[in-house]
Amino acid sequence: MSFTEATKRIYSNLTWTWNPRSDKEAGDAIVKNLLLHWFPNKISKRSLSWNYSFYLGTISFVLFMILVATGVVLMFLYVPSVERAYSSVKDLEYVVSFGWLLRGLHRICAHLMVAVVFLHMVRVFLTGAYKNGSAVGANRPLNWIIGITLFLVTLLLSFTGYLLPWDQLAYWAITVGTNIASAAPLVGKWIRFLLLGGSEIDQNALIRFYVLHVFFLPIIVLLLFSWHMWRVRKDGGLAVVDNEVLKQRAEKVPPVRSKTYSLLGITQGATVHVQNTMVDEEQDSVPSTPHLTRRIWLVTLGTFIVTVLLTIVFRAPLDTPANPAVTPNPAKAPWYFLWLQEIVTDTTIKLGAFTINGALIGGILLPGVLVLLAIWWPYRDKSGMNSVGVWFAPERKRQNVVFLLICLFIIVFTIIGTFVRGPYWNFYWPWETWPEMPVKF
Amino acid sequence: MKLFRKSAPTGESKTAATSREGRRSFLQKVGLGGMLAGLAGFSLQSFRSLIPNVLYEPPQKFKIGSPSLLAEGVTFLEDKRLYVFKEGNSFYAISGVCTHLGCTVKYTKLNQPKQVEIDGEKQTIPFEFHCPCHGSKFYADGTHYAGPAPQPLHWYRLEVSSEDGQLVVNLEDEVDQNFRLTV
Repeated sequence: MSFTEATKRIYSNLTWTWNPRSDKEAGDAIVKNLLLHWFPNKISKRSLSWNYSFYLGTISFVLFMILVATGVVLMFLYVPSVERAYSSVKDLEYVVSFGWLLRGLHRICAHLMVAVVFLHMVRVFLTGAYKNGSAVGANRPLNWIIGITLFLVTLLLSFTGYLLPWDQLAYWAITVGTNIASAAPLVGKWIRFLLLGGSEIDQNALIRFYVLHVFFLPIIVLLLFSWHMWRVRKDGGLAVVDNEVLKQRAEKVPPVRSKTYSLLGITQGATVHVQNTMVDEEQDSVPSTPHLTRRIWLVTLGTFIVTVLLTIVFRAPLDTPANPAVTPNPAKAPWYFLWLQEIVTDTTIKLGAFTINGALIGGILLPGVLVLLAIWWPYRDKSGMNSVGVWFAPERKRQNVVFLLICLFIIVFTIIGTFVRGPYWNFYWPWETWPEMPVKF
Repeated sequence: MKLFRKSAPTGESKTAATSREGRRSFLQKVGLGGMLAGLAGFSLQSFRSLIPNVLYEPPQKFKIGSPSLLAEGVTFLEDKRLYVFKEGNSFYAISGVCTHLGCTVKYTKLNQPKQVEIDGEKQTIPFEFHCPCHGSKFYADGTHYAGPAPQPLHWYRLEVSSEDGQLVVNLEDEVDQNFRLTV
């Protein structure tokens, strides 16, 4: 064999799974490629649709991958010591080649990930995709809970990363955040003490936040994410597939005893697929390779391009070094907690001589109730199977409206906290200038 | 969904189908090339960011004081691991870093001066450098003669500063064993 032929043979062996030439090869490719094997062999056309899911879950995953890639490089360059953290970040901005790009990309992706994961949760709620359809053995409410946990871990990741530059913005944002956490009844003070490794925000706090941020929380995300994707497969794919199945039943198509390629089908018990009415494979589904993989690839590229462009336009800020003696006025939490800070400010209640701390009501009780409500809702939801995997299903109108109102309330409070609150937490319209605040006392 | 159609629709001419396939293949190559270029760019910039542009280490060129204030004979600069010799108006500097694995060699005054031959030339040496780590030994001029050290001790350039007349050592400028700075 000549050199050219050998090269072509090797190239073909390495890349055939990304470019299958037949349906059989496409099926083989899914099984034999490490990255692709988490997709099913065939996927319904509606699942592929841009305007069903907007690929928000995929975008969150891509953002997380960019965060890991930039984060790993940043770990070589950032120093988690109170004496050196700030100067190492300053070096990243001005001395290290492409340091500004690494840091900026990491920051932009972090903010975007919080927003996109939130939007993904909104999409899942509005399409009723947390509900089980006609499939036997599905457990979409469980996957909804895994998703909520993933969202909370995303917030924690962003929060722990926020402290690392050790500038004024970081230091006081974490002061506000940890003081809200300490308002939890019974365990609040202890949680704050454990999180900070002491009573002050100092070296112990920095190193704990760093280790949580670079190791424990990403591991938790990876584990939960794997479980999340596995549950999607186990539940029969995206919720929109359940809706297609119902339509097929309405068309009086006889149920198809589908084959299963997994061990679950030949060991004890049965898979979802064996008992379910399959979507007619010929008519309504396409091989995952190349249709789904191509779209995933486009979303990956698109996300990367958008984040790099945003990084170039919106450079990461760096405030003055952290100074425990000087509180900036106003001192604001990270944007995704500003709605909480707003509520915390407004909910301090005086009952005679007794004062209930707003941090308890607005910082612990209210978000706690919202999270519990979100976890409980799939089990309370009485709507029927027709509203699974459907945008704005009429049967779910009232709950969708309530959910959207809660989201709107969160967004409005975030906007108020970001743009309309100034020194002493007074109201200032965005075009009003703030008074000069003294920095030394 | 036109992007995913595999076969030509009926009625399309063979030329049109071929040109469509050619265009698709070209666009695929452009897309793949773009993705690989992006990945390569990202990898390159990540790697480049790990090559430091600025070092926070002590400078390699530094002053060691006025020549007249230096003691006659040998002075050991501990933090620089450097032996500076003064013989009247003549100065030279030998590194105290063993060329084997980097331990600091000891200046060892001999009980009696020793007759040795270095590069065919007979010399009398009153002291030697001995390395405590693995037993390497060096003559007074740094020439290695025993133990595992593969090279002689390094000599570095000495200069006089034009600003204040102090002696300046440059650890980035190696010189040979004949170097002397005469002040």
